[in-house]
Amino acid sequence: MRELDLPGKLFIVEGIDGSGKSTQLDLLHKWLISEGYLVVATEWNSASIVKQTTRRGKKRRLLTPMSFSLIHSADFASRTYQQILPALRGGAVVLADRYVYTAFARDAVRGVNREWLRDLYSFAVRPSLAFYFDVPLAEAITRIRGGRAQLKYYEAGLDLGLATDPEVSFARFQGLIREEYERLVEEFGLIRMDATQTLIRQQRLMREIVRPHLSDIVKVTTGEVREALASEDLLGRYLEPASRVSL
Amino acid sequence: MTEMNFFGHRPPGIATDALPGRLIVVEATDAAGRSTHIGLLKEWLEDEGYAVMDTGLRRSDLAGPGIQQAKEGHILDPITLNLFYATDLWDRIERRILPGLRAGMVVIADRYVFSLLARAAVRGVSQKWLEDVYGFALIPDRVIYLDIDVEHLVPRVLVTQGFDYWESGQDFLRGHDMFQNFVTYQRLLLAEFRRLADRYEFAVVDARGTAAEIFRALKEEVGEVVRGMPLDNPVTGVVLEPPDLGIGAFGSEGLGDRNGTANGGPADDQPSERSALGGSSQRR
Repeated sequence: MRELDLPGKLFIVEGIDGSGKSTQLDLLHKWLISEGYLVVATEWNSASIVKQTTRRGKKRRLLTPMSFSLIHSADFASRTYQQILPALRGGAVVLADRYVYTAFARDAVRGVNREWLRDLYSFAVRPSLAFYFDVPLAEAITRIRGGRAQLKYYEAGLDLGLATDPEVSFARFQGLIREEYERLVEEFGLIRMDATQTLIRQQRLMREIVRPHLSDIVKVTTGEVREALASEDLLGRYLEPASRVSL
Repeated sequence: MTEMNFFGHRPPGIATDALPGRLIVVEATDAAGRSTHIGLLKEWLEDEGYAVMDTGLRRSDLAGPGIQQAKEGHILDPITLNLFYATDLWDRIERRILPGLRAGMVVIADRYVFSLLARAAVRGVSQKWLEDVYGFALIPDRVIYLDIDVEHLVPRVLVTQGFDYWESGQDFLRGHDMFQNFVTYQRLLLAEFRRLADRYEFAVVDARGTAAEIFRALKEEVGEVVRGMPLDNPVTGVVLEPPDLGIGAFGSEGLGDRNGTANGGPADDQPSERSALGGSSQRR
């Protein structure tokens, strides 16, 4: 990964499904915005130009361990160059739900060479802070069972042939990913968060860790339009939705 | 035999056994006559009795349509575009090239990793990185390079498709002088190809001559590679043979008999369809 000296900061969260990482990142996001920071969020597997291909591959079950790995790296590259780098140059906080470590863990479980994966993702920017939400497998499975519809083919890791039953396969797959994460915590010094703690306690700790990294972050000035409207006694009926957000 | 050697690590799920087919790569810049000569080679090889498959960039089920779309929008950074092409190449290696080689075919690839390396180098992408990424590519039995210079290229482009956006490097060169950009871009690209030709020991064919001369040289190169392959290709043989409709033909023994491998004992040294196609790329 590249060590770049950019004005912005990149905070990322990792963990198996059901670890609560997205919830924590979401809470952090809201807090940062309320504090007035410029924040850009990016999600795994979301680049518009690559997404259709990934969807096609999943739907038709065309993806094998290598093509699965490659198409996700294309997605990640697209987000790196279109979202992450420009935002970091502009002095924003970038929040990433899953980062290269997701690929390192999942693809290694699928048998892809670990060294090759690190080479593949060498264009990635090294995060300022990387949180790993550590949760026992059984706990994560219980959490997911509550709120999720039918498991999808690749999501359940059915392509690995671990089990024919999606639920059983999913549990084994997540267990293997968790083992990989353990290696990654060591190798990359990920910050281990106890994901069995209460939401509030986890969030408090996360903010404490994040706070010292915010000194150079660009602040967004809000309320200026509101003041203008108030002083002129206007409603702002014809303003673009984007500028209404900053009201 | 195509040995199962890869430029880098062997990808997961790929067997290590040598394959009975041959992988021949034809590299060249656009309009150097690549597709014409691949068409001629294909016809000639088939007339000689070989089973031939051809494959080219962006023809994968998985990533082909996506790349096409991305190129039309001109919105991709070179890293993403390369990873898209890498996905396309791997999908074709896994689903087309390896099964073809396993079935004993001559697989002709209309461009391979080398075109991708050359284009990316010109655009400033790290060669070390790309070579690492393309470590998954199977090493071909031969890479034939149609060597041409810009002076011979320009008239060919003008009489065929005209100057193309990407082939003129418009995505990274400045200005709107397409002719000048084409010349600049192709000079850079051809220099990269020559560097790769040395490094990867391409068989270089002078593409400035007449079509007949070029084809003669190509036939010689390809002839060397395919020499010694069994012509009575087991796959074509099995397909063309009328099935024995006698009772029991569809029983387990009937199938074994037809392939000359009754009850597990190899009766002759000709590979059966089963072993030639067995366990193709579908799920391994």
